[in-house]
Amino acid sequence: MKINRRKILSLLGISPAVLAASSPAIGEPKHSPKNPVLKDAKLEVVNPKGLPPPIQLIPMAPRLPSLDGKTIFLVSDGFAGADRFLNQIAIWFQKNMPSVKTVYRLKAGSYFDDDPKLTAEMKASGNAMIMAYGH
Amino acid sequence: MGLPTAPLVTIAFKDLAKSNAANRGMPGERICFLPHPMTNKTDAEMYAVLLGNDPVTNKPLMPEIIDALTKPLTAEEEKSGKVTPDIGPATYVDTAENLQRIYLDNNMTDFMPIILPTEEKVQEMLKGTSHKPDEVIGTLSAARGAQPSWSFTVRHVAINAVMAGARPEYLPVILAIASTSQPALFSSTSSFSRMLLLNGPISDKIKMNYGIGAMGPFAEPNAVIGRAWTILSKNLGGCGMPGLSYMGTLGTNFNYNNICIAETENKLPDGWKPFHVQKGFKPDDSVVSIFSGWSLNNVAWFPKMPYHELINNWLTHFFSFGISAATLLLDPTVAREAKEKGYNSKEELSDYWSKNSKTPAWLYWDTHQKELEQAKAGVEPYASYLKMGDGDIPFQRFYRRGRPGGPPIPNPKSSIEIVVLGGETNTYWAGGDFSHVTSVSIDKWT
Repeated sequence: MKINRRKILSLLGISPAVLAASSPAIGEPKHSPKNPVLKDAKLEVVNPKGLPPPIQLIPMAPRLPSLDGKTIFLVSDGFAGADRFLNQIAIWFQKNMPSVKTVYRLKAGSYFDDDPKLTAEMKASGNAMIMAYGH
Repeated sequence: MGLPTAPLVTIAFKDLAKSNAANRGMPGERICFLPHPMTNKTDAEMYAVLLGNDPVTNKPLMPEIIDALTKPLTAEEEKSGKVTPDIGPATYVDTAENLQRIYLDNNMTDFMPIILPTEEKVQEMLKGTSHKPDEVIGTLSAARGAQPSWSFTVRHVAINAVMAGARPEYLPVILAIASTSQPALFSSTSSFSRMLLLNGPISDKIKMNYGIGAMGPFAEPNAVIGRAWTILSKNLGGCGMPGLSYMGTLGTNFNYNNICIAETENKLPDGWKPFHVQKGFKPDDSVVSIFSGWSLNNVAWFPKMPYHELINNWLTHFFSFGISAATLLLDPTVAREAKEKGYNSKEELSDYWSKNSKTPAWLYWDTHQKELEQAKAGVEPYASYLKMGDGDIPFQRFYRRGRPGGPPIPNPKSSIEIVVLGGETNTYWAGGDFSHVTSVSIDKWT
């Protein structure tokens, strides 16, 4: 069966133009130093990636000098078990840092939705937040 | 938000949480990690976790949480400004073998060899559409709202179509799919599957196989178009990076091709409309429809009862991640039998199934805990349901009733879709938990 090199190259995504560069001149041995074998031929291909959005860096909120006498919101995003785990954190604070007040809240919406009402409440009456994500 | 925060995440989501924080502008967010999973632990076991170490840093957990809220910020943590994510060079130059490796190593493929996208091939592919190469088509995200939305152009789609092995005449289909902003690879732990259905003249024009082996690897466009969707989802939406933008614990083999099929419109029983006509398109429109679900049963069973009754029983007992929507893929022989039994349209058959299928008792009570309490208190009809023991509860679950907790939909419609395809070599059918997401015109992308 006759092999069509041009077709094979095309199937491999290689321009048939490389044949011109890699074909030996008449009378030259096929793999002489003057005629690099086909697999060494280089080609240029394009990057298939789309455009991710630029990232706006957000400075983190200033930290507290200490938690003494502060109010910490314990926020669940709704995944099963987060409420019980946050309750254990509340118990830990009662036992180990009783001056810390904890307030439990379930965030509204799906796990990736903002909850502006809760955010406003925490800004008005809280000093810090511990948030538990699933699972 | 302005409040110091300590996020708590289980270790299974370490990479996802860190990359999400970085993508949202807080690469130094002080995330504290927990063992995984937490949901099945007792209260005492959860308290023990608090007394133990963060499994990532190996430091005591509670002091780490307190540090996250009180330790002064570093200069890095106070940084502002914009950064542009690196997507690599505009072109790569190397041998064919090395280039295949570059695409594989950078997660730009489905891990099978690709057609290398030379400029010449991309230009040839672009001849498949009249749209300008730099036209922005839309955005794509592995999970809208949770993951970044990437934008892309006609040219970007053409490059990915080349890689999948598409012919230029397939490009309008692939552009239509991309225009939906639906990714083939969705960032969920539940391992979503997708399905693509072609209707209208496009199926014959590009030679889709909808006869014998309609769902198998027996025709170029079926194979390549479905593949292109997975590859472009990776490259145009940042999807399909395990641990970062893909969390499906088992994954699904369907994602290699996304069940790319066409309806056997020329074998539909009289009066049965093609799927795209059911969705408001004209018969001569070329349309691609997207379905989302998880699993599919291919049923080979020769019942004594009619097939529509057999399928009704299957619907009662079918159970998977999705339990309130179904799509039936019927061989034309099965569709014809239903027509002979009196179902003059897909809608009539779908309504019959929605009204007559039931719910196994264990599944009903597992998903209706509030009603279980009412049943125990003697409230009807739940009390009667409870008396039925292990029998099937007359609760029709295949209706579009609206989101749990949301307002009920008045006059809910059946959530069962029907597609006819196959080669009539036997009376087989397949069913699964797929629901219809959207249908879009292919013609506008020619």
